[in-house]
Amino acid sequence: MTVVAMPSGRMPGAATAEPILTVDNIVKQFETPDGVLTAVDNVSLSVRPGEFFGVIGPSGCGKSTLFNIIGGLLDGYDGTVRVAGETVDGPHPSIGMIFQEESTFPWRSVIDNVAFPLEIAGLPKSERYDRARHFVSLVGLDGFERRFPAELSGGMRQRVSMARTLAAQPKIMLMDEPFAALDEQTRLLLGDKVLQIQQELKQTTLLITHNITEAVQLSDRIMVMTYRPGKVKRIVEIDLPRPRTSEIVSSEAFGRYVAQIWSDLREEATRGLVEDESRKLRGGAGAPP
Amino acid sequence: MTRPVPFSQRRYFPAVLGLGSFAAFVIAVEFLVYADILNRFIIPPPSDVIGAFPRVIMEEHVLARFTQTALEALAASVLVTIFGVAGGVLLYQFTLLRRATETWVAAIAAAPLVLMYPLYLVIFGRNATTIVMMGFTAGLAPIILKTLEGLSGTRRVLINVGRSFNLTRSQQFWKILFPAALPTIFVGMRLGLIFALINIVGVEYLINFGGLGQLINELAERYDLAGTYAAICFVILVSIIVFALTERLERWLRPAG
Amino acid sequence: MAETGRLSAPSLAPSWVREHPVTALRIFIIVTVLLAWEGLARSGWLYRDVVPSLVAIGHALYETLADPTFYVHLYATFYEIAIGMAIGGVAGLAVGILIGGSKLMQRAYEPFLYYLGPCPKIIFFPVMIMWFGVGPGSKIAMGAISCFFPVALNVAGGMREIDKVLIRVGRSFRANTWQMVTKIYMPAMRHPIINGLRLGLGVCLIGTLLAETKLSNRGIGFLVIQAYTLFNMPQMYSLLIVLFVIAIGANALIGRLGGLDSIRRS
Repeated sequence: MTVVAMPSGRMPGAATAEPILTVDNIVKQFETPDGVLTAVDNVSLSVRPGEFFGVIGPSGCGKSTLFNIIGGLLDGYDGTVRVAGETVDGPHPSIGMIFQEESTFPWRSVIDNVAFPLEIAGLPKSERYDRARHFVSLVGLDGFERRFPAELSGGMRQRVSMARTLAAQPKIMLMDEPFAALDEQTRLLLGDKVLQIQQELKQTTLLITHNITEAVQLSDRIMVMTYRPGKVKRIVEIDLPRPRTSEIVSSEAFGRYVAQIWSDLREEATRGLVEDESRKLRGGAGAPP
Repeated sequence: MTRPVPFSQRRYFPAVLGLGSFAAFVIAVEFLVYADILNRFIIPPPSDVIGAFPRVIMEEHVLARFTQTALEALAASVLVTIFGVAGGVLLYQFTLLRRATETWVAAIAAAPLVLMYPLYLVIFGRNATTIVMMGFTAGLAPIILKTLEGLSGTRRVLINVGRSFNLTRSQQFWKILFPAALPTIFVGMRLGLIFALINIVGVEYLINFGGLGQLINELAERYDLAGTYAAICFVILVSIIVFALTERLERWLRPAG
Repeated sequence: MAETGRLSAPSLAPSWVREHPVTALRIFIIVTVLLAWEGLARSGWLYRDVVPSLVAIGHALYETLADPTFYVHLYATFYEIAIGMAIGGVAGLAVGILIGGSKLMQRAYEPFLYYLGPCPKIIFFPVMIMWFGVGPGSKIAMGAISCFFPVALNVAGGMREIDKVLIRVGRSFRANTWQMVTKIYMPAMRHPIINGLRLGLGVCLIGTLLAETKLSNRGIGFLVIQAYTLFNMPQMYSLLIVLFVIAIGANALIGRLGGLDSIRRS
């Protein structure tokens, strides 16, 4: 944990602070018709306050399982998850989740979607709308407060989900491939937005993705996971200047990081591909639920 | 893999639970009737109902009645299929006609048509024709809509494939549209048959003519309590069998995928 | 569409027809049917009064609607349907949520609903008469039984089709059970619930009215069967018209309520 080269633009002292999120020796197994499948195998990580931490791995490396464990939506695993020293058991108020799937409530307008967590927490009406409006504006959806998700584009809906999670003011934000369903341009622009917000709020963020460009563009550190069982293969420090925008994608340093991570990932992805194909040929089950 | 599975997770457990609760319910009713908590002049003991089955089957010519109801249902569903599919194709072929009348057909499908049975009684008399026509009337609109849905649901790319081979209009219909719509049309046919059957048994009961529906009416009018319950159970059993069989048939006729 | 041209009016037709071909065709169909009807009524080909003249039906319709006793019967039927819907609807909602919420419950009990659903409900009427008497009680019971099945089956299906990610969102914000039901499950199931109620109302109407035609001394169903016994065909037609207008109107209304919702919010 000794980081010599401080990425410019990051909170000074962040590296030396106590980790806000620690994950220790997580093991999660699923029972499938083919036998016991180890989805996550002995994964440990720690995230510093204000850090943007990327988790990358091929499909089927247990990324989403890890996400659900940290978010407290999945139990029956070995190991511990701690937020600021407190062990997580079920959904934790300090953790906000942004899901891969389209997760806005179709029956609520934008503002009502964003106000949802505040309503659950029992805030008075005027206060929750004031706060919701602030976060709607933060994600750049001013003027769309009264619209319904059906009237918005996919990227806008994902921004609504983001505002909704931010409105709960979590200490840590977990994102599970939040841009997976979007096209490449929207993905890059939304990445900029995420970075801007993250810098503005100094929001500790854990991003799960299988997109290398996205991971390198956004993260301070990236954890590369192996294909089934999901283990930690390497943690890479991304020493690129901040503030970053999507333009950094064309820089030479960026390319080097991408190449480095890709070489790690290629082995795993290839192995995953071969195993998946042979499993399909045998007629067995694919990924666990 | 070989470790024992708890009973509550075995495959047949839900079915056992369902049938078990049903059996428990029947036994509880039996007990409550004998304990005089339930009035036996309103609810006969289930054992009496079971005992009444052979009597009802032997003395009330159940087989003949069943055949009559079945023939009425068959006649009605043949009519429904012919006119319903034809109607659906007609509406599909003539867009203007469809735009003018599709909402009407949908409204008719939702209308309580069976309430017209006194009218049919006047028009056709108290006979099997009334019953068949009632079944036909009730089943027609749903199958028109299903046929239309099937034809309109044909994937654009299949239609374009047909076009690319320069099919004529009738080839396009018989080689592409109709086969593509067939699974949905089967769903419609089954729906039509079920609608016809429900209405046929219902009208038989209401006008006291014909097969199984009349049987219930007669037994009820004779205050044959156990017999009435037994006849109702029998009709339910027949409906379930028809429902399940047509479901099988539909799955079997539907092309894979 | 190429087919559109086939039925469209010739170019000599007034421009209004060319601009509104659908409305024109509808008017054409209605006028043709009415004319054919009137022609048939006046031809004397059919048995007397089976197809009464439109004038006679119109007159009967007016008399029916002007007669205060009609509204007494209408109220009786409305009352039976309302209570039947309330009982059957609440029971259906509860059973649907129970069955849709658990895989075990679903596999154990849904087959009963699924296979009893399409059975003709009117055959239970003799039993309902024994249980609840010949008055409104047995009609309410018929309505409730009829309406229960579509509501329960639709709600159970709706429970299963809720987007699982929305449930995870609710849990991640630590909603309690009551909040989950009122803020996630119920709104997420609004379409199946509305659809179940729409189908339920249709069959409830049928169940109640058929029961009235079989055995009763009030209600619209009773009036219909009375018209039959008195062989007052114009009145029977007028009653059936009123009945269908009410049934189709109620169906469209519920559909519209659900539909508006879906346009704006789905």
